[in-house]
Amino acid sequence: MEIKYTIQGLLIYITMAAYLPAFVATIARRTRAGRVLFFAGFALAVISFVYRWIHVRHVPLQNLFEVFLFLGVACYPISWFCRRALRIGGQWADMLIGAIVLFPAGFIFNAEPMQLPPALQCWLFAPHVAVYMLSYVFMLKATFQAGEHLLNRRPRVEETVIPPEQATYELIAIGFPLLTLGLVLGSWWGKLAWGHYWGWDPKELWSLASWLVYVGYFHWRHMSGTKHPRINSLWAMMGMLTILVTLLWVNLARIFAGLHSYAT
Amino acid sequence: MSQLKRMLLWATLVAVILLAGLSVCGAFLGAERAQAFFNSLPLVVYWFAAIALLATGIASFRRLLRVPSLLLLHAGCILVLLGAMWGSEPGHALRKRLFGIDKIPEGELDIYEQMQEDRVVVKDANDVRRLPFSVRLNDFRMEYYEPGRLFIWSRDGRDWRMPAKAGQTLALGGELGTVAIRRVFRNFRIDLREDEPVAYDEPGGSNPALEVTVDRPGSAPGKRYVFERRPGHTNPDDPLAMSYFRAVRDYVSELEIVRDGQVVAAKDIEVNHPLHYGGYHFYQQSWNENEFGEYSILMVVSDSGLNAVYGGYVCLVGGVFWHFWGRRTLHWFRTHYTITAKIPGESQ
Ligand code: HEM
Repeated sequence: MEIKYTIQGLLIYITMAAYLPAFVATIARRTRAGRVLFFAGFALAVISFVYRWIHVRHVPLQNLFEVFLFLGVACYPISWFCRRALRIGGQWADMLIGAIVLFPAGFIFNAEPMQLPPALQCWLFAPHVAVYMLSYVFMLKATFQAGEHLLNRRPRVEETVIPPEQATYELIAIGFPLLTLGLVLGSWWGKLAWGHYWGWDPKELWSLASWLVYVGYFHWRHMSGTKHPRINSLWAMMGMLTILVTLLWVNLARIFAGLHSYAT
Repeated sequence: MSQLKRMLLWATLVAVILLAGLSVCGAFLGAERAQAFFNSLPLVVYWFAAIALLATGIASFRRLLRVPSLLLLHAGCILVLLGAMWGSEPGHALRKRLFGIDKIPEGELDIYEQMQEDRVVVKDANDVRRLPFSVRLNDFRMEYYEPGRLFIWSRDGRDWRMPAKAGQTLALGGELGTVAIRRVFRNFRIDLREDEPVAYDEPGGSNPALEVTVDRPGSAPGKRYVFERRPGHTNPDDPLAMSYFRAVRDYVSELEIVRDGQVVAAKDIEVNHPLHYGGYHFYQQSWNENEFGEYSILMVVSDSGLNAVYGGYVCLVGGVFWHFWGRRTLHWFRTHYTITAKIPGESQ
């Protein structure tokens, strides 16, 4: 773990310093203050992302540092969309997610800019990663909702929101097409760069496994409806577990060395 | 829900969980062994069963047939699986046996500049086969990010890096002095005929190097050459070790396809930009050099089944977006429209 004494690092820390009090204010039922701080954090996250873009002179979605920076930006618009369009609560979780995803960017991952290796110079690179990241934020939100359901919590502040089990399904239903598109774009890109649309690489296999867990979730929920709602929620959480392994473990663990290891 | 439908759904769940579990196991095997595993006989049986299950599902559940998005996404899965089987190595072998269609599934084609080649070393088969046309390589080149970088290490474990540009200097501090880059060579040559050897850049070839001076306090500046390809030995008394590095930006092969003496296709292929001709894709895979010079290594891959796989992808992605996003968006617009339409009625 290391502190980044750079403008980039400073921007990340200030963003986190806005997201965390936003979270605290929201669970303390200071909803308005929470929203203002959340928005301020988002504005800072955008500045941080644009700064990085200018600095490295390509879409900054090349390594884990940049990917987590992007996640820090994405959580606010997704939160806004879920609240306004889907009536899904748990904004406190979005603020926490914002701070959590920026932590590795601020303290763990190396921010050293890299020159893009030939395989990464493809127009599919940015959409493939961006679409995946967006779906991950939806799935993470779904996991928080599933957790709320399993812990039998009532929505904290927002009264007009849908129940957590249903919210979990709605969020997965929004995230799943993005997850599918991410998988397909990756496969198409693999065909262009490596000659195969499917290389049986550990990262590919983990991403297929996480996609299948959600396919299973839909079919299970279709079969059992809301007869076993706790299993529905546990299933949704399993999906997030496989996503976490796909995103982190494969890039970090040596045992899974493969074509995607450059992303460490 | 009827007994049969229930059973089909249970079978689907088992099949999906099984494949997820096998994918996780495959991730521990590494790509090569995983590929062999997923192409093994029990898994071939699994793939056929999965296709049958999907088809039976579509035939048995009315909603899967009636709701276009559901039909599209389930049919998309069938197309992807069929395309993948058609394009696999066993798929190629089967087509050769049944229909006499003889296509190379995958192989490697090594080719020197200004040469023409049609022989492909078939992957995993130790066999050389010929393409029904030839490939000519007009030029092969590597492009680099400029400037490269000079890496410097001191004996006490410190390290520095500087852009490999003429005129750059870096003060290392203390006894180590200052490092300066005097010249950057693309193709370093040295003329030893004079009393003082003369280094010069010869156009054409490639032997990238840097001329570097190290200016230490109290001694005359020392000159040295740092080569990109031949790192050389470090003098045990030398307090500094150096290395010159340039990151590859791209590999480019200027290819032409020649059939019956005519050029029928041409493309400068690079990573991410293959050439497609005659049922094959040609990829820039690698390069190497031997006593005859540099040669480009191309990967040749049959395109069988690719259209089905891509068609399946389109159906699958279209289907899931339509099902989960499109229907929700429509619903949202409909409710919105109904509310605004009702207002005049309510006021009457
Ligand atoms: C990898 C293969 C499969 C994928 C990706 C897939 C995907 C999906 C998706 C995304 C849904 C929508 C779920 C929802 O609206 O909540 C669905 C529904 C459904 N699937 Fe599959 N499925 C697959 C295989 C199968 C198979 C083999 C069957 C046959 C038994 C099947 C039968 C159904 C049924 C009956 C529904 C419910 C339709 C409804 O009434 O809404 N699926 N599937």
